[in-house]
Amino acid sequence: VPTVSNADQFKQSFREEAREILVDLESALLELNENRADQELIGRIFRGLHTIKGSGAMFGFDDLAAFTHNLETAFDEVRNGRLQVTPELIDLTLSALDQIRAMVEEGAGGPSADAASCTQILAKVRQIAGVSPGQPAKNTATAQPPVAAGGGQVRDWHIRFAPGPDMLRDGTNPLLLLDELRQLGGLSVRASMAAVPPLGELDPERCYVAWDMVLTTAADADAIRDVFIFVEDGCELTIEPTPLCEAEVTARALDEQRAQPGGRRSYDKPDNVSSLRVPAAKLDQFVDLVGELVTVQARLSEIAARRDDPEFAEVSEEIERLTSALRENSMNIRMLPIRATFEKFRRLVHDLARDLGKDVELTMEGADTELDKTVIDQLGDPLMHLIRNSMDHGISSPEVRAAHGKRSTATIHLSARHSGASVLIGVSDDGNGIDSEAVRSRAIEKGLVAADAQLTEAETFALIFQPGFSTAKQVTDVSGRGVGMDVVRQRVDSLRGTIDIVSKPGLGTSVTLRLPLTLAIIDGLLVSVGDACFVLPLANTLECIELTREDTQRANGKHVANVRDELIPYIRLREHFNIRTEPPAIEQIMVVETEEGRFGFVVDQVLGNCQTVIKNLGRFYRHVQVVSGATILGNGTVALILDPQRLAQDALRAAVQGARERPASAHKVLRPGVP
Amino acid sequence: VALKEFAVPVTLERSEELSLIRLDGAVDITCAAELKSLLIEALASGKPVEASLESVTDLDVTATQLLWAARREAETSGVGFALLDPIPEPLTSALLHAGFEDFAATLVPARRAR
Repeated sequence: VPTVSNADQFKQSFREEAREILVDLESALLELNENRADQELIGRIFRGLHTIKGSGAMFGFDDLAAFTHNLETAFDEVRNGRLQVTPELIDLTLSALDQIRAMVEEGAGGPSADAASCTQILAKVRQIAGVSPGQPAKNTATAQPPVAAGGGQVRDWHIRFAPGPDMLRDGTNPLLLLDELRQLGGLSVRASMAAVPPLGELDPERCYVAWDMVLTTAADADAIRDVFIFVEDGCELTIEPTPLCEAEVTARALDEQRAQPGGRRSYDKPDNVSSLRVPAAKLDQFVDLVGELVTVQARLSEIAARRDDPEFAEVSEEIERLTSALRENSMNIRMLPIRATFEKFRRLVHDLARDLGKDVELTMEGADTELDKTVIDQLGDPLMHLIRNSMDHGISSPEVRAAHGKRSTATIHLSARHSGASVLIGVSDDGNGIDSEAVRSRAIEKGLVAADAQLTEAETFALIFQPGFSTAKQVTDVSGRGVGMDVVRQRVDSLRGTIDIVSKPGLGTSVTLRLPLTLAIIDGLLVSVGDACFVLPLANTLECIELTREDTQRANGKHVANVRDELIPYIRLREHFNIRTEPPAIEQIMVVETEEGRFGFVVDQVLGNCQTVIKNLGRFYRHVQVVSGATILGNGTVALILDPQRLAQDALRAAVQGARERPASAHKVLRPGVP
Repeated sequence: VALKEFAVPVTLERSEELSLIRLDGAVDITCAAELKSLLIEALASGKPVEASLESVTDLDVTATQLLWAARREAETSGVGFALLDPIPEPLTSALLHAGFEDFAATLVPARRAR
């Protein structure tokens, strides 16, 4: 019995595919803008549009198919050399893509397409492509005058098509493909039943039929192949011209050579990439389950350690090994290259440059760097704000740049690379740089810093991330940066990342975001204070030293330890969290590397390494910034995961404030936030 | 009439002398598994099999290959297999259109439907 959910599922998978194609189309269009004669790009765009049209129609997106059809026609004209690529055509196509995107998302909660602008776009496209509204455009290739480039002669093609095993299950009807071929020219079809197995062995949802066809058309092999573009994976497809006489063959070969000096692949999809499209929610569920498993496994190990049972211990160890492999695997599955996110910004840069009258080129590096999908999803907004800021304030108009002896085309460079358990995402420009004097005076004006404060460059730049720093007044005209930067900070913080700014006046600014590779699981050190357990991220932990009562007394109540002649400030977690138990005679200082330098955290005992599944504390505790989450331990108790960076910042802030007012109290240190 | 929408598009009626498979409406991948098991059941009875396509509006690739495989099976095991008259003209031309010439050519009715 046909179910609604089936149809919905097909629509959903079409949407997913369409989104990807749209992103690809957009970057292809913008590349085409740079290199207007690139046949390969034109072919890629044509095929992208064709796929959207074809599969859109298949899944009931009729408006979308009709709309896209006109664009496809235009690019067919471009492909055949009858239409020039102009900036107007590219901008028009870009805005058409926006409408297509809206049509794709219609019914999936997205905004609906704007009928008026669709009509307008269509009218312009038709005008450019020279198609009258009623004309069915392309499809009647036989009616087109023969052209020299890439074929054009009417001839016979022998096509053999055997659908992939899953084609019918995927909701594709092979008979519609035959109809599509008929639009290219005369077609004779013969279905071959040779592969149909005995009834008992027959998988009723699989297509065993293969088709042998002869197509008489002026279209070339690429155009024919395009018909199958949506189903090509897994199917068997041969497209061969029926033999020509020798003179014709030579003439054609010469033509082809002239038309495509580099020779080109017949389609863009990488060969034989076998991959699976899985909804992200399923993956999240999977990772969640692995997380639970890690927790249970920790418990098992603990029980095994308590019992003196070698057999039990052996099983427990085996499970530990498997769990750890499973954990790594599941994390790996979630890793995606950042390319798609980067590519998205080509459009932003293109549009902004046009609107602001600036000439900007976007370059990328390390787009294949992989990171966790959750991180990638969260990265779009901060990157957008950073790029916007660069475009808006950092980069001047071509005239001004030229006057300063710079290249009139500015560059924004996006980069990504791995560094240990982190990934570094960079946004740099060759603009004016941040005017630190202006930032400083604005900060003093807003009362963020004292008028006589001595600020390092890093401290000054950090000011621009203060909420509302630049929104109150047009400080951006002077200082260069500000709008949206607090959003950047918040988002990066929630990803447990850090921001680093380097700026040289007149030369440009470079912002580097350091983000963890994954958000779900960290390697931590389990420590105890009184009855409570905490987890410190292992990545920042340097060493562990003893702190005796004598040491404390020697320091005269100052929270400073002498480690190999280096003075390291420390925080007593017992005081910080108001734990009212007596400290043991010998405590431990965990020395941790933070942005504020080395810091110590005093705990009772270090219990050991642990792989920790991070559980969110939920919205209610969102303001508690010194804790980045919680985890469930092997014995079932909950341990808070500390954020050493925040703890150190808090302590410093409290110390500064305390020095200004009165001696710092533990209570003061506890309060996060307000400067 | 309203109930017809919910009716199973493939049914098997068995009698003393033959098995009759009725196809109805759009026979496609959603009922392919059902059609397969009915065909197997009908062939297993050893009695002649008759299929009525009279009220079929659409026969997709899965249904076509199932009927084709069933008929081939019937031929090799010596069981009669017939497609009953009348067969809607649109159906015949759709099959020809899709290249199932050999199959369409055998849609010669053996007997009138009762």
